[in-house]
Amino acid sequence: MPDSNVAELVAKYEEELRGYGASLPDEFNRSATALSAELSSNQLDQWAKTGISLAGQSLRAWEAATEYFRSSPSIHTKTDFEGVIAWAGIAEELAQKSSLVAASFLKFTPEVLTHISLDELSEWSKQGDRLFRGNWKSGTLSAAYFEHTPDLLSVLPLHSVEKLVSIIDALTERSYELASTCLETSPKIFKELEQPDREPFLDFARAVTRASWADTRLYFERGPDLIASINSQYRSGFLELSAKVTSEVGRQAFPLFADAADALGQLPDDTHAEHINFASDLALGSPTAAMEYLKIVPFASSRLTPEQLREWSNIGSDVLISENNAEGAEAFFRLESTRAEAALQALSSRVELSSISTLLRMYAKALTGEQIAIYSVEELVDQNIGWVQESVATTEGSSIYLPPFVSTFEAQEANFQSYKVFATHQTGRIEFGSFAYKWNLDGSFTSATIEDREANSEVTSPEGDDEPKAAAVTAMQRYFNSFDERSLISGIFTVIEDTRVDAYVGREYGGIRKWLKQLQAYEANRRPRIENMPLRSAFVENLLRASLGRPETMRWPTVYREFLENGLSALKLVEEEEATVQDSAEVSAVIYDIAQRIPNITSSMADGKFEFDAPTEDMLSIQPAMPSGDGPPMDMQANEQEVEFENPPQPEFRGDFKPELVQLLARLKQQQEGNVDGEGTPLTKEQLKELLENSVEITIAEWAEGDLDESLGMFLENLEQAATPSGEGKSDDETSGSDESSGGDGEGEEKELPVEIDWSYYDEWDFRASDYRPRWTRVGQRFHEAEEEPEFYSETLRKHHGLVMETRKQFELMRPEVFKKIKRVEDGDELDVDLAIEFYIDKKAGIGPTGRVYNKRNKIERDVAVAFLLDMSASTDEEIEKQRQSHSDDDDDDFDGDPRKYFQWLAARRASQMIEPPKRIIDLEKESAVLIVEALEAIGDSYGIYGFSGYGRDNVEFHVIKDLDESMSELVQRRIGKIEPIRSTRMGPAIRHTIHKLNEHDSKVKILILVSDGRPQDHGYGKDRTEKEYAVHDTKQALLEAKRDGITPFLITVDKEGHDYLQQMCDDIGYEVVDDIESLPRRLPTLYRHLAVE
Amino acid sequence: MTTNASGFTQLAVEDFRLTEEPYYLEINDEIRLFEAAYENNIPVLLKGPTGVGKTRFIEHMSWRLHNAEGQSSEEGVPLITVACHEDLTASDLVGRYLLEGDETRWIDGPITRATKAGAICYLDEVVEARKDTTVLIHPLTDYRRLLPVEKRGELLEAADGFLLVMSYNPGYQSALKDLKHSTRQRFIAIDFGYPDRDQETEIIQRESGASAEFARDLAKLAEKVRNLKEHGLGEGVSTRLLVYAGKLIAAGISPRRACQVAIVWSLTDDGEVQRSIEEVVTSIFDE
Repeated sequence: MPDSNVAELVAKYEEELRGYGASLPDEFNRSATALSAELSSNQLDQWAKTGISLAGQSLRAWEAATEYFRSSPSIHTKTDFEGVIAWAGIAEELAQKSSLVAASFLKFTPEVLTHISLDELSEWSKQGDRLFRGNWKSGTLSAAYFEHTPDLLSVLPLHSVEKLVSIIDALTERSYELASTCLETSPKIFKELEQPDREPFLDFARAVTRASWADTRLYFERGPDLIASINSQYRSGFLELSAKVTSEVGRQAFPLFADAADALGQLPDDTHAEHINFASDLALGSPTAAMEYLKIVPFASSRLTPEQLREWSNIGSDVLISENNAEGAEAFFRLESTRAEAALQALSSRVELSSISTLLRMYAKALTGEQIAIYSVEELVDQNIGWVQESVATTEGSSIYLPPFVSTFEAQEANFQSYKVFATHQTGRIEFGSFAYKWNLDGSFTSATIEDREANSEVTSPEGDDEPKAAAVTAMQRYFNSFDERSLISGIFTVIEDTRVDAYVGREYGGIRKWLKQLQAYEANRRPRIENMPLRSAFVENLLRASLGRPETMRWPTVYREFLENGLSALKLVEEEEATVQDSAEVSAVIYDIAQRIPNITSSMADGKFEFDAPTEDMLSIQPAMPSGDGPPMDMQANEQEVEFENPPQPEFRGDFKPELVQLLARLKQQQEGNVDGEGTPLTKEQLKELLENSVEITIAEWAEGDLDESLGMFLENLEQAATPSGEGKSDDETSGSDESSGGDGEGEEKELPVEIDWSYYDEWDFRASDYRPRWTRVGQRFHEAEEEPEFYSETLRKHHGLVMETRKQFELMRPEVFKKIKRVEDGDELDVDLAIEFYIDKKAGIGPTGRVYNKRNKIERDVAVAFLLDMSASTDEEIEKQRQSHSDDDDDDFDGDPRKYFQWLAARRASQMIEPPKRIIDLEKESAVLIVEALEAIGDSYGIYGFSGYGRDNVEFHVIKDLDESMSELVQRRIGKIEPIRSTRMGPAIRHTIHKLNEHDSKVKILILVSDGRPQDHGYGKDRTEKEYAVHDTKQALLEAKRDGITPFLITVDKEGHDYLQQMCDDIGYEVVDDIESLPRRLPTLYRHLAVE
Repeated sequence: MTTNASGFTQLAVEDFRLTEEPYYLEINDEIRLFEAAYENNIPVLLKGPTGVGKTRFIEHMSWRLHNAEGQSSEEGVPLITVACHEDLTASDLVGRYLLEGDETRWIDGPITRATKAGAICYLDEVVEARKDTTVLIHPLTDYRRLLPVEKRGELLEAADGFLLVMSYNPGYQSALKDLKHSTRQRFIAIDFGYPDRDQETEIIQRESGASAEFARDLAKLAEKVRNLKEHGLGEGVSTRLLVYAGKLIAAGISPRRACQVAIVWSLTDDGEVQRSIEEVVTSIFDE
């Protein structure tokens, strides 16, 4: 078609087009020109008409028309004229609904066609159409869809895009914002995902959206990163698993997925396959268990070898498969099951400090005879007093700090023995006096030369140092002060003294010699390469290796042979029996001198070239005369550059050694205890500062970058705090993680304190898993603050005078069960034959006979202990009146229409409320407590009264109103007055804590009486808020535990609906539902009487 | 002394004398102290935990005194031991009438015999006896040295050489079982502690026949275990138990096992404490 025709065409429609949009004719003109070569004038005209009809669809349809004209030439290159018209037809359909959507469709068609065929166009438009719901938000979204599809199609096939659309479509029902965010980010996300992961990612996304739409955003944001850490081969498997799990776990799907992915990321790549496969197997039985499994694997593998892990997991999968107990398996892999924990512990070779700290404490106490506490090193580091290494054992003179766990060896036994070696080395420092260095005292083999040395060092001390040094605080400090190179002498002294201690340990404790050797060998194999060390460091390293019993690994240049020989023979000295820390100090000084003459150069240490002969015994015999001053000439290596000296690392089992700090601490402690004997005046801040600044045992840079003075000050404070002797004796049990409460002891002194919370941990029974959840609940035992006046008590006594008297009398009538034989009485129920004969003899012999020939069985105190456990849950706050009203609507509104009667009634009611506030369930519990106290005082049974409530498993409150061993006092009366409703009713742990208390008590008959007003319930005491089974089962289990321990449990409830769950909860345990709530105070003593007599 | 046909020896308590020297290693100056007390008729109270050699000491002293210069073994110092218990009555100590046919016959109790024979009367674990019983000995223990025999209406003056010795373990001390001051202030008290490591080594070696090395290790173990007193252990391990352990070792039982049965399990029933002591044992003994 010639150009003139085009012009004609343009002219023909220009006016009309301009009517729709100013820019339309230009666009039309441009495309018409482009198409004119290929289309007949008829076709062209039809094409133009289609455009105009499109533009006429609505007010803004001209935009769609613009896009139509603009895209047409490009479309026509891919299809014939029919195709173009069909395409326009689709657009027209869209434009009928929204010109915006149509425009977007038209605009991006050319790009999309590079990915899909023309036939798929309608499919594509349908998806966009699907998103459009007639409002502008959906229009925008739909348009955005067309806009982003070209990008999406470059990474996903059309049918996958369709899945995405259905996700987005689902999201639009909740949030358009979320839907469009997901749509916008999708191209980027899918582009970054590896090709095989895309489809599974999408499938899981769909599952997440269905389960919990809000998580979709999180998934789109974090998902790609999360799965990136998973072995690429198994990512899709993992996603498939996650998708499968989702249908079962619902809302939990994404959190589980995220945790599991995170967990896998922590594991080595090559193990992913195994874990994902195992999880997939588990998923057949319980999808949750599968995910929990993946979550726990990193933790479990930190304690188990892969082999052991497999074994452990199989136990868990047995629970699932053989026992068909899905909940059990989930609890197992959540490690919320005693079985899981026990299996882990049994399999694991790792030994935890918490499980053996009591043992080690007694062991250390036995070895040293001193009260030594065992702590985890982390605690010492937290104190910030100079110890910074968290993984090695150490001591500060009065406590021993050990790493929190040892898993060095494959056998549990070996790891335990390592602990023993650690502990023995540290106690050795205390036992063999490493910290007892005294100034200028002769050793067993050496005489002290330190005084001269100090004098010399003062002479040669650096000229510029005008400031007079503050006097040394401790002997150790003074000793170190006498050397110019503190780091060197400190390193040497550590090696020498540890050698001495090791030697002592080896001699004194033949039984651990074997393990000590094993650890020495282990350490020797882990030493850094000596060949890379500068000479002087290598010298110290060689000494260390010799002291580890591995002289064959020493490397040393022959030119310096004599240096090392002399050093070694000096070292040998401290391995002698009887060697003291004074000897160590002296030997260190000698070795220091030798070391100082060795240039710290690197190059001369050729690899193993100058191998040192294994030293023989006689070579290393003691040389009383220390090496003389002559050796290889100093200038031998004069042209070499010396590097700064650095101590080689200490072997782990010997741990940190900080004698200077320990002596300082001891000194501070002494000062605080007030006996600064002999050593004169208290320490000044300057002295301390001087010590800390110079000591190489602390690295100042490690504390704080800022003001040195400030960090020093803080450090000093910490030190002084550490030296404070408060609570030393009591701190013993703190490390043992599993601790029960201290039970009955020491409570007398606590009761005057405000509120001291004593925490204990108890297992909880998970009936679904048929297993205990280990240490699941935390019970805080507290003694009530008791500021209140004992009014309530006396008031109750007054009010119930008759009842009190009656109960007392009944109780006094109770027969005690235990009798004791009393010999030699004048009247009794049996005759003592021996005494009778004696009587007869005496009579015969004419001696005034004694008539005390009877034995008597006498009553002694009853041997009964009873604990009352009162429910202090919020529901006990309920007024009884109200409760009753709801049950009976008698003549309440019966005023015969006479307002006077009503007002009389109202006035009377108000008056009665003034005198006596409406009674609550808790009040009745309190009154019952008063009565029972009165009654029990009459017969002298030991009894305790406790209240419980709390919220959640970590916070079970256990209020002691009267402890079993406590005697009745005004304080108890006040505490009874103070009983108040608090919160929930987690009965299990409260019962368990009471059992614990009764077990501590020595009585023949033990009774536990639980008074409550309803079923057990608490936050998290069951699968969800409405579930009641769990709580009932746990309570039942706790009651059974009581029975097993020989305690008679009994339940009293004022809950009228109590029968249904009590029947299940109590089985063959006694219970009673008190129908008339107000009879509780009367009923309780009666019940007790029956129980105690049975 | 009569020797029965069946081969056992039966003799009156006051005739019992030790013919062979019982082994005793002096820890401090207790031998001299005792001799001086004996010389001056001062009653002696032996204090100390179980198994440190109180009884052995008194046997040794009895032997030593009657073998001392100037004493012939015939007239020397016999030892009469009374193990006290809570049903011990005054008649059990002093004597009683017995029925014989239609007659009664008086029979002396151990303390009466000792008074007459000039023997050492050793009341073992005296706190166990009833308090009214201990009062009985008061006139015997001061300058009077008299024993009233109430039932016969007699006063008995103690023969030369008579000495009252009591033993007492303060470890059991409780409000109920303590010596009355009027009683305890009639005695000088010799305190028996545990021997030190070297002495104990010597004792164990000598008594058990175990090698010097094992004896030393046992003594070392004892020292460590005694550190645990009051920390799960009521009382430290006695030298007697160590000797038992030594004997087992000498008989070929492995040292760890010997210590387990003779020391660990004897000392305590508390599992945790047992385990701790066993760890000390395994630290010291290597098999």
